[in-house]
Amino acid sequence: MTRAFSWLFSSVAFLSVLLLAGVFFRASLPVWQQEGAAYVTGHQWFYRQHQFGALSLIYGSIVVSLIALLLAGPLGLGTALFVAEYLPRRLRLAVKLPIELLAGIPSVVYGLLGILLLRDWVYDVFERFEPLSGDTLLTAGILLAIMLLPTVVSLCEDAFRSIPSAQRRAARALGLTRAETIWCVCLPQAWQGITSAFLLALGRALGETVAVFLVVGRQDNNLPTNWLSPSPWLQAGQTLTSKLGSSETNIAYGDPLHWSAIMGLGVLLLLLTGGITLLGTLRRNRNA
Amino acid sequence: MRIDANMNSASLSVAFCLLSAVIASAAPLKINGSTTVNLPVAEAAEILRAENKLDIQVDTQGGSSGGISMLGDGQIHLGMSSKPVSDDDRQKYSQCHFKEIHIGEDAVALIVSKDVWESGVHTLTKAQIKDLYEGKVTNWKDLGGSKSQRIAFFNKEPGRGTWEVFVHWLYGSPKLAPQVNFPEVGGNEETRNKVGSTRGAISQLSASWADGKTVFALALVAEDGQPVEPTAANIATHKYPMSRPLFLLSNGEPNGDAKTVADFLLSPRGQDLVEKHGYLPLKALVK
Repeated sequence: MTRAFSWLFSSVAFLSVLLLAGVFFRASLPVWQQEGAAYVTGHQWFYRQHQFGALSLIYGSIVVSLIALLLAGPLGLGTALFVAEYLPRRLRLAVKLPIELLAGIPSVVYGLLGILLLRDWVYDVFERFEPLSGDTLLTAGILLAIMLLPTVVSLCEDAFRSIPSAQRRAARALGLTRAETIWCVCLPQAWQGITSAFLLALGRALGETVAVFLVVGRQDNNLPTNWLSPSPWLQAGQTLTSKLGSSETNIAYGDPLHWSAIMGLGVLLLLLTGGITLLGTLRRNRNA
Repeated sequence: MRIDANMNSASLSVAFCLLSAVIASAAPLKINGSTTVNLPVAEAAEILRAENKLDIQVDTQGGSSGGISMLGDGQIHLGMSSKPVSDDDRQKYSQCHFKEIHIGEDAVALIVSKDVWESGVHTLTKAQIKDLYEGKVTNWKDLGGSKSQRIAFFNKEPGRGTWEVFVHWLYGSPKLAPQVNFPEVGGNEETRNKVGSTRGAISQLSASWADGKTVFALALVAEDGQPVEPTAANIATHKYPMSRPLFLLSNGEPNGDAKTVADFLLSPRGQDLVEKHGYLPLKALVK
């Protein structure tokens, strides 16, 4: 009986995800028909000319999320390590609780803080690189990093805690120091959990909208000449989510091709976040 | 057959009226659109809520275009727009009979940040603004500034009345405007804050929002070589070129609560609100 119900409900959940993806894909069909693969690889997004190339949006989303992960990853991992391995049991909650509370703050509040503090900070600190304003991909990345921190800390800490204490005791009995125990026992054991934490955080970063929208600058078609160069990070850009949140969604309504292009961005976002979150969850489950 | 069809349409329209009456009595009056028009309308709504016990929601999603598309789609009762409804929009929403209710007049100013103003840039010609918008000049030094400073142009996002008035003046029509990629800004508040806090910044903004403390409105050089500032007198006589009408939009003649709101804004008290927020009331306009 329980088994039947669990099958029923999981299939309902699964089907609704499929249905959602299907609806979005169907709504975006016209743009795939017109642009084909150029929809994903095209450099130009000019809706008045009916040119829809989403590459700069994908670039923006990926760069912003990677900056966020580069900052939040090491910091979050370090914090998790400290909380799980060094902190006495009684203090653990006192440190972990405030960090997890960060996860409950609505993203628009982060966005407003970003406008208030981060924009000016980035503008001043990087002044010699002459950013045109404080709204840059980097600003959005730093803001996202703060938002990702609770996710990374919490999941990494879980990974460390799931290692049986017997293993640590065995390592200590063999004469390893505490630091050596962490390097040789804890980190390798928790590695799968840590990477899954990073992937889940990345999935969250890609989907974040409001906070990014407020500080990313919303400049279309900003693609670097050199893909690996970080200098475009100090320019304004556009992400998939900031485009979807912009006034273009209102304008697109009523124009079938433009509307389908906007829906197509939804499909791309769904594929990116869905794929990465799925990867992260699979890794996590294999670990557990 | 004909009578039958008429009967049908008559009963349909009766049913529709009943339906809309039911919707109107049950749901709040929804108004959406331009942040520029929003200022007097939101205050009028405040007054009508208190005095007439009207249930009104005023929102500014998507600016003027948001107001037009949501009215065209039947999601709201009144739209707010700082641009006329274009033929394209009328075609797109052919089931909606857009009626423009003129409640006042506003001007679009080009505003600059304090450092630009202090470096001596107080006026621009049309040709200079074109070069600027097309990215041919990128430094204030080339536009009369005393020190070298990169130009940070914040473009009002497409669909904003402000942007449309700007390109209308510069290129004749939004469709003729070149495609440019600048960082985009949305509502008036955001525009003023960003320009005010960025060195070398310039953007288009409703003239009434140029406070002369954080952002400064440039004078435009007219064809006779004289600078024209966006003052009330210059807007009223259309000497200042970038002026624009402020509209309430309704589907056909407004009725019920929507009519109350429209009538209030056209009454002396409503017109005072228009003036209070820095726009020109109808009586100040020179026909």
